[in-house]
This record gives sequence, structure tokens and C-alpha cells, in this order.
Amino acid sequence: MPERVILSIGTKKGVFVAEAPKTRRSFALRGPFGAGVGVYATLIDRRGKPRLYASSCNAFFGMKILVSNDLGKSFKETKSAPAFPKDDGRALINIWSLEAGDGKNDLWCGVEPASLFRSRDGGDSWDMVPGISNHEHARKWQPGAGGLCLHTILHYGNRVHLGISTGGHYLSEDGGKTFRASNKGIGAGFTPDPFPEFGQCVHKIAAHPDAPGRLYIQNHGGWGKWDGPGGPRPDIGVLRSDDHGHSWRSIAKGLPSDFGFPMVVHPHDADTIYAAPLEPSTRTCPGGAPAVWRSEDGGGSWRRLASGMPKKESFFTILRDAMDIDELKSPALYFGTTTGQLWIGRDGGEKWDCLFESLPPVHCVKVAVV
Amino acid sequence: MTVTIQVPPPLRSRCGGASELSLSAPSVRAALEQLERNHPALYSGICDETGKVRRHVNLFVNKHHVRDREGLDTALAPGDVITILPAVSGG
Repeated sequence: MPERVILSIGTKKGVFVAEAPKTRRSFALRGPFGAGVGVYATLIDRRGKPRLYASSCNAFFGMKILVSNDLGKSFKETKSAPAFPKDDGRALINIWSLEAGDGKNDLWCGVEPASLFRSRDGGDSWDMVPGISNHEHARKWQPGAGGLCLHTILHYGNRVHLGISTGGHYLSEDGGKTFRASNKGIGAGFTPDPFPEFGQCVHKIAAHPDAPGRLYIQNHGGWGKWDGPGGPRPDIGVLRSDDHGHSWRSIAKGLPSDFGFPMVVHPHDADTIYAAPLEPSTRTCPGGAPAVWRSEDGGGSWRRLASGMPKKESFFTILRDAMDIDELKSPALYFGTTTGQLWIGRDGGEKWDCLFESLPPVHCVKVAVV
Repeated sequence: MTVTIQVPPPLRSRCGGASELSLSAPSVRAALEQLERNHPALYSGICDETGKVRRHVNLFVNKHHVRDREGLDTALAPGDVITILPAVSGG
């Protein structure tokens, strides 16, 4: 079977799947699956026969994990979803991230309230990971506007990086047994201490698998004009690490705003990254003109990419997991909006087209070539 | 004492498709405990891990919301009907 490009699109009203040949000229849409229920995390798992996973966050009756073994033509529930131990005192509010683990059937799952779960059987049973879920900081983390979510899971060998809003960046170097806050250089605008040990509102962490010491963060910026206690905290929103996340430095210069949600790394070049800056106060496109910004030198400089996008009167938000990039030779970017649009940026974001105009509000977008 | 549990359509797949269940329990709490033992998937749709009734789920004994009576400690009489309904909420 020829390779196809698969998009999984988590929305406020279920998960959609879009499919195209490698030319990516047009995509066929199917869904919604889990109709009417919010989907905040999806995973296209290419270990063995491709499987699609989606969280299904039913505000009435609780959380489910959906799985598809036919590239999103149908979904069924796994046998169980993550749940806190009965004597823990916490109850699951949402599922924010699903990532493939090391073994063929290993899955990681980040949830709200911020905790980590692991499945070793493809999502049919789950165990809480105590090293972070019962971390001494865990009961001190505070929810951001989106909730107290563990939204990013990156793992390279024994290193596991977690992004928590608001908790910050947590690093394990023993395969996820123990974690420590690793936020040196990551600022916060909403605490008296501009650089606290933990409690930062990290929005997204991204890395390139071939350069695991290099990481990028889209942090909660927008504090450059703050005139309250502690004074302004400029450029704390977009950051880079070159030492496996032990320390971080700003790469926000050149962007119209250091506030945003997603952060994406080019599949073939760890120096090429993409951000989607937003107005800090409204969290919408700066000046009503949407754009993705690209750096080809690891954040040293940035270029605006907006060819094909509206030039005015657009006030959507691109959420933290709503942008991704495929891995074809000339990769395309994809982002979904809170206004229900799904955009493709061909040639690495040089030329943009709207693939779908009227989906439900988009929470997350993942792409894979299968 | 035997009471009836009326199950809303979205939860019926969690109890073999049944629209009604019969059980014997002296209180709503005891009825939920029986559901947890015998129909754990259904129970997890009604209560979260802490045992609290989910925020957007309402429980009625006959025509009365349990919050207007004794909450989960509302006593049950033979023939009572517990109705599980999703709240009118969402968007």
C-alpha cells in the first residue's frame, strides 16, 4: 500500500481523521469519532501496524481512551483509562497527552490534575507513575487557564522531559523513576520570584530526536511590559536548552510576541523551529493577522510565514498541541484553530492553504506518514 | 428491599445494554456500592475515583434529586426508582 499522510484532529466535539496521498494536494476527512466529546490528545503510533489513539474527555461520564486499528476508519474504547488510586484523593479531569513508550505496547499518558500514567499493554491497563505524580511539588502546582495539565512527554533513553502547566519542566534521568524540577532560566510573570524553582507555566516543549540535548520551550510569556511587583520580565516566553534541559536561555528576540502555545521542530534539522506568537492579553493572532514564525538558526533570528493566510480580521488561537509537521522531504506544517480551521503550510510553511474551514474548535493535531 | 436503577442511554453500554437494573439496598450510597462491585464501568461513569458523584451527573430517587433529600445517605424504600441523568450543561 502506498504511503499516506494521516492527520488526527482532536476537537471539542470528537476526533477527526484526514488522509491524503504523499502529494498532499487534498485530504479526505472522516469522523467525528467519539462524537460530541472533547479530545485533547491523539497519538499516531507507528510501531508495528499503525494505531491511532485519542483521549475522549466526557464531562458527564468521565475519561476514555479510544483506539483505531484501521487508520481511523473506526475507533473503540480501550479496556480502561487512567485513574487515580482510590485512596489518592484526586480524580481525573482531563487527558492531555499520549505518547509512545519504549516497548511495542508501551504508552505514556499525561493528565489533569498533572500526573503521569503508563500502560504496557496498548492502553488496556494503566499505572500511575509515582515519581512525578506524587512528587513533593505535586500538591503545590497551580492550574493555569487551561487547567493543571501534564501536556508534554518527551523521552530519549533514560531521559524523560515533562511539561506541566503550571509546574514547569521536570526531568528524569533514570527512565522515569524519579524527577526533579529543571527550570534554570525559565521565567514566570505571575510569581514574586521571576525565576522560581518550579511553578512556571510551560506551554510546550519540543526537541529533535537526533539532537536530544537540544530542547525548545514555548513558555507563558507576555510579561515584557509588566509594571507590577518585580517589574518587567521580557523575553521569557521562548527558550532553548543545549544541555538536556538543565538550563535554558531566551531565543525570543525577533518575534512579535513571546506568548504562544505550540513549538515545533523541523523533522530534518534541529536548528529549524516554528512558533505561533499570539497577543498576550487576548491570546489571538497579533493585529488580527495570523502567521507562523520560523527560525533556521535555533532561535537566533525569525522570519514571518503567512503567505496564503488572511491579512486581517482573524482572531483565532492555536492551542499547545494544535500544530505539527510531517516528515516528508519537503515537509508541510499543519495547525488547527479555535475557530475550527485546519491549515497546511506547504514547503515548510512557505505557502498556506486552509484544508477544512468549519470543524469544531481544534484542540490538537498530529500528523504521520504511514 | 428491591429498588430499580434507571440507566440513561449513554451509559447502557457499560452494563450490558440494560436500561434498568434491580438491586437491593437501604440507601443510595449502598446502591452505588453495589454498582461499583457488580457494574464497575457503569459506576465509573457516575462517580469519580474519589467516590463523588460526577459534577454533571444527577441522581433522583423517584422524582426528587438526592441533594434535596439526604444526598447519598437518602434512604430507599421497596419499589423506589433511582434515575441517573446527565445534567443540562455543556456547549
